[in-house]
This record gives sequence, structure tokens and C-alpha cells, in this order.
Amino acid sequence: MGISVSRLSKAYGTVLAVNEISFEIGDGEFVSLLGPSGCGKTTTLRCIAGLEDATGGEIRIGERLVSAPAQNLLVPAHERQIGMVFQSYAVWPHMTVRDNVGFPLSVRGMGAAQARTEVEDALRVVGLAELAGRHPSQLSGGQQQRVALARAIVGSPRVLLFDEPLSNLDAKLREGMRGEIRRLQRRLGIAAVYVTHDREEALSMSDRVIVMDHGRIVQIGTPQDLYRRPASRFVADFVGKVTFVALHRDDAAGPWLCPDGTPIALASTAQGGTRALAAIRPEDIRVQPGEPAGDAAADGANRFAGTIAEAHYTGPVTEYLIEAAGGVIRTHAQIDLEPGARVTLSIPPDRIVLLPPD
Amino acid sequence: MQGAAVPMPAPAAARAGKGLSERVLNALYILTFATVLLLVLVPLSALIYGSFRTSAPGSPGEWTLQNYANLASGGVVTTVWTTLWIGLVSAAICIVIGTALALVIHRTDFRHKSLMTALIGLAFYFPSFIVAMAWIILGAPGGIINAIVGDLLGLDFLRTDIYSALGIVYVTVLHQVPFVYLTVRGPIIGMDATYEEAALAAGARPATVIRRVTLPLLAYSIASSFILVFILTIEQFAIPALIGIPGQVNMLATQLYLLCRFSPVDYGLAAAIGLALSAITGAAIWAQRRVTRAGRLTTITGKAGRVKPIPLGRWKWAANLFCFGFIFLALLLPMLILLYTSVLRWFTANPFNGMYTLRNYAFIWESGSTLRSFWNTLLVSGVGAVFGVLLGLMCAYFTLRVRPKGHRWLDFVTVLPFGVPGIVLGLGLLWAYAFLPLPLYGTIAVIIIAFVTRFLPYATETVGGQMVQVDRSLEEAAWVSGANRLRAALRIMLPIISPSIQSAYFLLFMAFFREISSAILLYSANTQVISISIWAFFEQANWGLASALSVVATLIIFGSLVVIGRLAPAGRRF
Ligand SMILES: Nc1ncnc2c1ncn2[C@@H]1O[C@H](COP(=O)(O)OP(=O)(O)OP(=O)(O)O)[C@@H](O)[C@H]1O
Ligand SMILES: [Mg+2]
Repeated sequence: MGISVSRLSKAYGTVLAVNEISFEIGDGEFVSLLGPSGCGKTTTLRCIAGLEDATGGEIRIGERLVSAPAQNLLVPAHERQIGMVFQSYAVWPHMTVRDNVGFPLSVRGMGAAQARTEVEDALRVVGLAELAGRHPSQLSGGQQQRVALARAIVGSPRVLLFDEPLSNLDAKLREGMRGEIRRLQRRLGIAAVYVTHDREEALSMSDRVIVMDHGRIVQIGTPQDLYRRPASRFVADFVGKVTFVALHRDDAAGPWLCPDGTPIALASTAQGGTRALAAIRPEDIRVQPGEPAGDAAADGANRFAGTIAEAHYTGPVTEYLIEAAGGVIRTHAQIDLEPGARVTLSIPPDRIVLLPPD
Repeated sequence: MQGAAVPMPAPAAARAGKGLSERVLNALYILTFATVLLLVLVPLSALIYGSFRTSAPGSPGEWTLQNYANLASGGVVTTVWTTLWIGLVSAAICIVIGTALALVIHRTDFRHKSLMTALIGLAFYFPSFIVAMAWIILGAPGGIINAIVGDLLGLDFLRTDIYSALGIVYVTVLHQVPFVYLTVRGPIIGMDATYEEAALAAGARPATVIRRVTLPLLAYSIASSFILVFILTIEQFAIPALIGIPGQVNMLATQLYLLCRFSPVDYGLAAAIGLALSAITGAAIWAQRRVTRAGRLTTITGKAGRVKPIPLGRWKWAANLFCFGFIFLALLLPMLILLYTSVLRWFTANPFNGMYTLRNYAFIWESGSTLRSFWNTLLVSGVGAVFGVLLGLMCAYFTLRVRPKGHRWLDFVTVLPFGVPGIVLGLGLLWAYAFLPLPLYGTIAVIIIAFVTRFLPYATETVGGQMVQVDRSLEEAAWVSGANRLRAALRIMLPIISPSIQSAYFLLFMAFFREISSAILLYSANTQVISISIWAFFEQANWGLASALSVVATLIIFGSLVVIGRLAPAGRRF
């Protein structure tokens, strides 16, 4: 079981919304599609669901080939046995909660008595057992989303598909629902594809994340991979706050230099050539007041002298923009410093990711 | 800047010391209110007065309750039942066909979407009396169908007679289906696509999705459309008059007409019948408003549907047959028949026996009375519609924006004509102008008055519909910039709502052009309009001339549609 997508394309006229993407999702795996607006996430998901006809490539759900336009094969959505949750909930206003959740069972011809127990079960799982008789207009947004969730899991689907299901909920509710969706999916043990443009959601929920841009996949990996070992400037930037420092060196074997000529020590030497980009996460930088003291630190961290340009207090930490090494470096710290203060930055070499130059 | 330059909100505006602009607005308000009161209440009260009188308008008579007692007589009760069942059956069939058309066109991969939409638009503006005439030529006992199936093929059991209740239903359906299509199309297109997609994802087949999700979500729109078609059917005059009177099938509107035109004449009973008919339509309108309000809850979102069209597959031929078959019966065939009849010297069902001539068209050109009816129509539709739109604009502005004292009454009186069938309004005016010391009877002005009154709610609704969408702050921004109320209305509101003013004018122009029912009791030889002329020629069994005039009228209508289609995009800037 699982989902297998190979060389999937979708064109709207001359616009290529999805451009030959391939990926595999294992049974029980939870995978997010992450990317900026218009990158083709929804289109990919809808092609898997069968709500949109792919124009190229193949899609398999489990062992079954469901989309292969080259062979003129496009299984319609209602035969793909999926569970799907929409951004707008799409809870039918003319049916009660019970009827909404029971719909996938009744259209598949399940007997009323059995359907009823399954509906009760599904509603209990999402915590709506008491509201079964209500109409959607009498439910809050979060409750409607639970109805949609119950409806998606009730028909023993082979895969679960989500299109930004939480983006209409307020921040607090959203965090609770993340855990709930994950728990449900684990219980069912089926593959899930989750479209979002919220990087925190993607990182916190997923086994793996697929980052897309302009209809293509730019990186697939675990959340840790993406955050700590992004493959490109785009991914590094998209999955979290980051500072890029343009590096150069005189010859392909020499030490890397910052824009102001300060040497910088790196753990990785993968990047060849004489130009590169260093990506540094704010939380990997230590900020201390005062000038760098004495000789190099015992831990081997890079040390830079800097001046605070801007300070933004956010509660847990203060975000500082610090002029150092010939650029502006973004960092977090819990100490309070004024703009203009001189500081020392320490950056461990193994926390610096070396990327190809722009 | 002086404080006085920024007008106070409406209630305070009544205070002393108001500026010139306030005084002008006030005068306009009083003028509008008085005009609407006169237009609407005069015929209505005259009608009520008439329903309690024993005699014809203008002749001495006595007070009586006999007219209401006569409502319970066998003849009238039968007519009421006929009217109701024809209305219900026609509305039901219209709903089924119109909704099916809209679903085929907007939910499947039907190929000829834009062509079909355009053709249905034409059918919508195709006058009902012209459709009725064409189908009489086809389906009358001596008509074309009988000539073919009976005389030619010898299939006597297929002989038809259009002069029957079912004939009324049939032609009514052909005429009203485009209306249903146009009213349910919006909700179908605007429906949030994810409701249907969620059902597909849940495993429902497309037919099941339509049955269990799409149609239930459309229930309120369909119910509202059903009631509206019912109203239009029971208040219509032309079709039941042309088809029902020869077949002795009476609906309330035609019975009222017969009571005024043929002996035994009984204007009092006619007035009572008119009020009864208005009571039925009024109740139906009330129900329709309730339904619409209840249905405003959900389902329509701004974003256009992305839902994948249902593949017709091997049912393509059925969809084509259904859609083009309807257009053929409702539009193409009637037009062909009229063209054919218009060039015949004497009517014959067999085109190979025909003696062809253009004398009917020549006659239109040479006859003074026909030319005058064209001229009258131009005056009534072209100029009359200007009055209608102006009045509608005033009503909308005062009831929606300024809201001075009494605006609720204005609102109420403005929508009253919705509930008054055209012929009833005509009868009311007949009663009224027999008494009023105004030399209006028999003038073109009274025709214009009748039409403006009848269609005032349409103009007000069209303009008001856009006016409520204009954010209040746009005008307020003009006030705080120093513009007085009048100026803000002219410089800000008017340009913004100009598209709806255009559509209101177009709507009224077309409606006036096709209107028969409210003019049929009011016209005189000098004040005939085209629709009435066609009607009169057809009544005199002059099918050729009636057809030729119909062809010309249809060309004018479709020509204006094209012109408007070209102009309209320019008005859609906002
Ligand atoms: N029906 C359509 N016709 C033409 N272009 C379309 C259509 N649907 C989507 N597109 C285009 O395809 C691209 C991908 O759209 P898609 O909806 O998949 O983006 P997305 O990644 O889900 O974005 P968002 O985060 O904003 O939802 C966009 O550039 C969009 O403009
Ligand atoms: Mg999307």
C-alpha cells in the first residue's frame, strides 16, 4: 500500500502547474507537501484524489494504477477509495452531522445498522458523539473540521488526503488538531498526504516533507534533514529563519572567507569552487556582550565581532540583527542588549551549512 | 471648513437651517413619493372601488357586494382551479427542464456551452405571444402538424389540438424554461465546488452527487424559481388568451378580459376577479421571499467552482438532443414558421402549394397605422423606460441610502406592483381614468403610466441590488472631502452604479416592447404599440401580417440584444 507518483504533470493550457514530479509514500507514512503559494501543492493532491485529471505521468494507490493519461487511464475520484479533508471543510449544510459522516458508507451501499455503528465510532473518535443530530450551521469552525475528519476516515479509505485543513482555524485550536490528525492517521496506519504552506505544521507533523517550488520538487527529506541539511538556499529559507553569508576563497583548496575577509571554519568541505553560501540558523549563534576576548575559543567555534543594528523583543527571545563579518546576521538571544552595543558571535563550524552560490 | 458643509445623518437632516442640497433632495423625495403613490395606489383603489359597484366605469351605479358573491359562482371557481393547476403543472415541468438544462450546461463536459447560453438568452427575450402564435399555426386543428400527420400520413390518432389547457401548459413551458435556467444558473455556478468534490472523494458517483448534494443544496433556489414561474404563469395573459379563449379554457386573467370585452360585460366582477388574482400572486410572492431569505444561509461562495465537469461519454447525443431540441421547439421552429407564414399569400400547410409574396412586409411599410404603432412603441419603450429607470433610481436611493421619514412606506408601495398582474393593473387604470379629471384616457401617456407602474419594482430592484453593495464609506469619504449630499450622490454614487442603471434601462425597454397584458384594456386605435398590433392582426385571423410584424419585432429585439451585448462590457468597469 501507499502512494507512488512518478513523473506526474498537470498543465492548464500552457501553464505547467505540476512538472514531472515523482515520489513514494509508504504505508502508514505521513508526508507533507510544503511550498509557497501557487507552487502546485493543491494540484498534486487533487491529481492523487482524482478531482483533477493529470496530463502526464502515473499515480498508484496501493498496487492499483489510478492515473496514467498516456494509457488513457484515469480512475474517477469516487472509485479511488480515499478520505479527503478540505480547507473549507465542505461539510454539507443540508445534512446533519450524522448524515455527513455516514455519506461515504451509504453511497457504498453499507447497511443502515452497520453504518450507524461505524458513524458512532468515527464521531466518538473525533469527540463529536453528542453533536450527531446537529446541522453544520450549529457548529463552530473547529467542530465542522472534526466532522470533515470523521467523514474522511469512516469509509476505510486507503489513503488520507488533506488540503490545508487547519488554515481556517485559530492558532490555539490548530495546534491541538495537529496532534489529533496525527493520532488518527497512526491508528488507521494508512498513507497520508498533507498539503500546507505552514512550515511549522509540516515539520511538526510529518515523517517526511516534500518541498515544492514552481511545480517541481526541490527536496524530500525528514523534517530534521530539511531544517539542518537544506539542499538549496530556497529550502533553507523556506523551512526556517536563516542568515546567508556569501563566502569566497582564492583557490579551490584555500580557506573560506567572509565578505569582509574574516576566515570562517566549516565542518563540511563538500562545496567546490571559489564561491559559496553559508546558511546559519539564528538559534545556532551564541551572542555575548563585549569584544571577542583573548585567543580562539577552546570549542573551535567561529568568533566574530559585531554591532547590534536592530533588536526586536518577541517574548521568549529577542531577535537581533547584528552587523558582523561584512553583512547582517540574524540571531536570537535571551539577554537584553541595546542597538549599537558591541557583541561577540560564536558559531560552531558543524552548524554552518555550505550551499551552492546563487 | 464650516461644520455645515458636512451633512448630518438622515434623522437630523429634517432640522431647520439645512443647505440647498438638502432642500433639493427633500423636494425630490416628496416628488418621488407622490409619483409612486399616484401610480400605484390610484389604480389599486379604483379597482377596489370598482369591485363594489354594479356598473361599468364612468356610468352611474350602486354599491354592492354581489361581485364578491359571484366569485363563488361555478364559472369563477372552475376558472380558479384551472388557473391554479395550469400554474402548478407548468411550473413543475419548467423547473425540471430548466434545472436539467442548467446542470447539463454547467456541470458536464457539454461542448456547446456558450452557444447554448446565448440561444437560451434569445429564447428568454422571445415574446410569449409570438411563441403562442407560431404554435397555433403549427398545432391548431387546421394547422401544419395536423396537415402532416393527418392529411398526409393518415395517422389520425396523432391529430392535435393546441386550443386546450395542455396547449397552454405546453407553450408556457417553452416560454418560461429560459427564466428557470437563468435563475438557477447563478446558484449552480456560484456553488462552492468543494461540496461536490467532497462527495466524489467520499465515493459517490457523479449521478449520486447531483442527486444527494447538488440538488439539495439548490433546493431553496429551485423552490424560489418554482414560485416565480407559478406567479408568471397565473398572471400571464397572452398565451391563455390566444390559446385558451378559442378552446374555451379560461384562466383568471382571460376571464377578466372577457368580462370587460364581451357581453355580458361585468366590470364589477372583473374587478373582484382581479383582486382575487392579486391576492393569490401576493401570497405567492410572500412565500417566495420567505424561501429566499431562509435559503440565504450557505453554499454560495465567491470563488468560482473548479469542480471537474462530469463526462457525458456515451450520453453525449442525449444531452445534445435535449438542449438543442428545446431550443428548436422554443425558438427556431417558431421563428421558421413565422417567416414562412409571413411570405405566404394565403396560408397553406404545404410549402409546395404556397404562393409566395412580400406584400405583408410592404403593407407594414405602407400602412399608416402600422407605422404609427412602431413609432408608439419607440416612444413607449425608448422614452417610457427612461421614466421608469429614473423613478426606480430615486426609489432605490431614498429607501436604501437617505432613508428619510416614511421611507419604509415608499419601499412597501414600490414593490406592490409585483403582486398585481398586468391585466389587473390595466383594469384598475380603466376604472381610475373614468373618474379622474385628467384627459389621459386613450392617450399614449396612459400606456406609459401602466408600463412604468407595472415594471417599477424591476427597475428599483435592479438599481438597488447594486446600490446596497456600494460601501457607505465611499459616499462618506466624499462628504468629509466637502461634497454635500447631492453632489456626493451625483459624483460618487451615480457613476458607480451606472452599470445597473444601464441594465435596468435595457430590462425595461425589452419588457415594454413585449408587454401586452397591461395595455390590452387601455389601447385605442391611435395608441397601439407593436405587440398590440400583432395581437390584433392575429385575432382578425390575418396570420400573414401578424407573422410579418412578429418577424420585424423579433429582429428589433435580437438586434438590441446584440447592441447591448456590445455596449455592456464598457459599463462593467467596477
Ligand atoms: N484551473 C486552473 N487553471 C489555470 N491555472 C491553474 C488552475 N488551477 C491552478 N492553476 C495554477 O497552477 C498553479 C498551482 O496551483 P495550486 O493551486 O496547486 O497551488 P498551491 O501550491 O496549492 O498554492 P496555495 O498555497 O496558494 O494554495 C498556480 O500557478 C495556479 O495559478
Ligand atoms: Mg492550495
